Amino acid sequence: MSGIVAGVDIGSTTAKCVVLGADSRVLGKSLSVVGIDIVKDAERALEAALADAHLSRSDVSFITGTGYGRYKVYFGQLVVTEISCHARGANFLFPGTRLVVDIGGQDTKAIRTNEKGEVVDFAMNDKCAAGTGRFLDVCANALGYDVSEIGPLSLQARRAVKVTSTCTVFAESEVTSYVSRGKDPKDILAGLHASIANRTLSLMQRVGVEPEITFTGGVSQNQGMVRALQQRLGAPVNVSPLSQYLGALGAALHGRERLLGGAS
Amino acid sequence: MITGGLDLGAGTIKGVLLEDGRRVLATASLPSRGIPVQAARRVLDELGETANIAPGDVDYLCTTGFGRYTIPERNLQVSDFTSSARGAVFLFPKTRLVVDIGTQASRTMSISETGKVLKFKMNEKCAAGAGRFVERCSKYLQVPLEEMGPKALASQHPKLISSVCAVLAETEIINNVAEGVPLPDILMGVFLSLSQRAYSLMRYVGVQPEVTLVGGLVRDVGMAKALHDTVGMDINVAPDAYYAAALGSAILGHSRLLKLTQAPRGTGG
Repeated sequence: MSGIVAGVDIGSTTAKCVVLGADSRVLGKSLSVVGIDIVKDAERALEAALADAHLSRSDVSFITGTGYGRYKVYFGQLVVTEISCHARGANFLFPGTRLVVDIGGQDTKAIRTNEKGEVVDFAMNDKCAAGTGRFLDVCANALGYDVSEIGPLSLQARRAVKVTSTCTVFAESEVTSYVSRGKDPKDILAGLHASIANRTLSLMQRVGVEPEITFTGGVSQNQGMVRALQQRLGAPVNVSPLSQYLGALGAALHGRERLLGGAS
Repeated sequence: MITGGLDLGAGTIKGVLLEDGRRVLATASLPSRGIPVQAARRVLDELGETANIAPGDVDYLCTTGFGRYTIPERNLQVSDFTSSARGAVFLFPKTRLVVDIGTQASRTMSISETGKVLKFKMNEKCAAGAGRFVERCSKYLQVPLEEMGPKALASQHPKLISSVCAVLAETEIINNVAEGVPLPDILMGVFLSLSQRAYSLMRYVGVQPEVTLVGGLVRDVGMAKALHDTVGMDINVAPDAYYAAALGSAILGHSRLLKLTQAPRGTGG
């Protein structure tokens, strides 16, 4: 048995896979867009991470699926909710984590964890696109930018424009009306990020804001969002280039525990 | 005595000219396109032309809706609840519950036997309960807005939408299209989703007959059918109910003007 494990996180928008060595080193990872055939997407995510690690399927001892599409990871031996996985992954990267904020493509979660990376409490918004990656996507489109550009642009704002709509659809019209009134897109973007930070904070308050706070999910790669969240909190948040992979990483870690035959 | 009613909604400006608080002389509507004041002036011009009445002959102008404060020449402004309830009762005197589904908000009001608003509930925070949702569906399904309703009527097994968010529903609908769900079933699902949200507002204020549908979506046969099926009750629908709020404000303007002219001299303020 190699002791090598993999975690596959099938989100609403992207699939993430992490291959973890017996020494807990990340050997390979992958990130790809999820389409209609989720089963295939899951397989591709694993293949890509294995290729990144220069390994083959037979080298992996255990595979765990997580995320919105976790039941489509047919080749896995275990399925764990993304809430447990983000908690575990965040604890692994930042052991002082007590609150995880996961902003994904289609939902937002605030997860309170203990020192072992177990879930104590959580709150989530999965009913509505407001405050999620989808909100940023729609607004970026309305302004004619790619979603990857808007975080850095928002950092150059001079005076944020207050965005009052909660609903993504209404925010889209609000944004368009600011453009037609001649507002600087950078200032509008800063306002949009601040609006999401506000919503996120109220979700966090439902479970209790306690340091350290670790920011995970796809939106954690947006620097504008990191700053907006820190400004709103008045406190730093942990972010790493691996933040987007924390669900997959957590899944791999859960798999490792199962493989070794004991829950922690 | 001629009074004008202008409803400055989020999507459309609607106007009505009324004689003696009873007879509708003209109706007109135009998309507001973000410049409500200009559109409102054009609506007023059009009303005048239709009724063959010079702008100076309008004795009193009453505005309502989202943009009611933007018209300087108004004599009075009233809330959307009051005006659309008044218009609904004028069209259907036995109305006890008004459902107003507009572009950007939906609202419902229970009405007393004397035509007063008793209780109301509104959703203006979320596009899923408003006409905007239908507009978006029309765009990405590439079905012209005015064909959405008629096409939906052919539905045999409406495909219900589980998402309560207009944006997330979009993904769901596109998946349904990909899975080969017939278009009429998808369209009726859109209207049912809207009517279910309206129904939960209605239950909050109390559902009792007669129920009158007014506002931007009343001319949509799909909306009327969906609401009928959801509520399980006949729904009053009339083409003029599209103008209910403008009509109501013209009526309210007329009553105010009557009071003003009948008040004894020297006591007016």
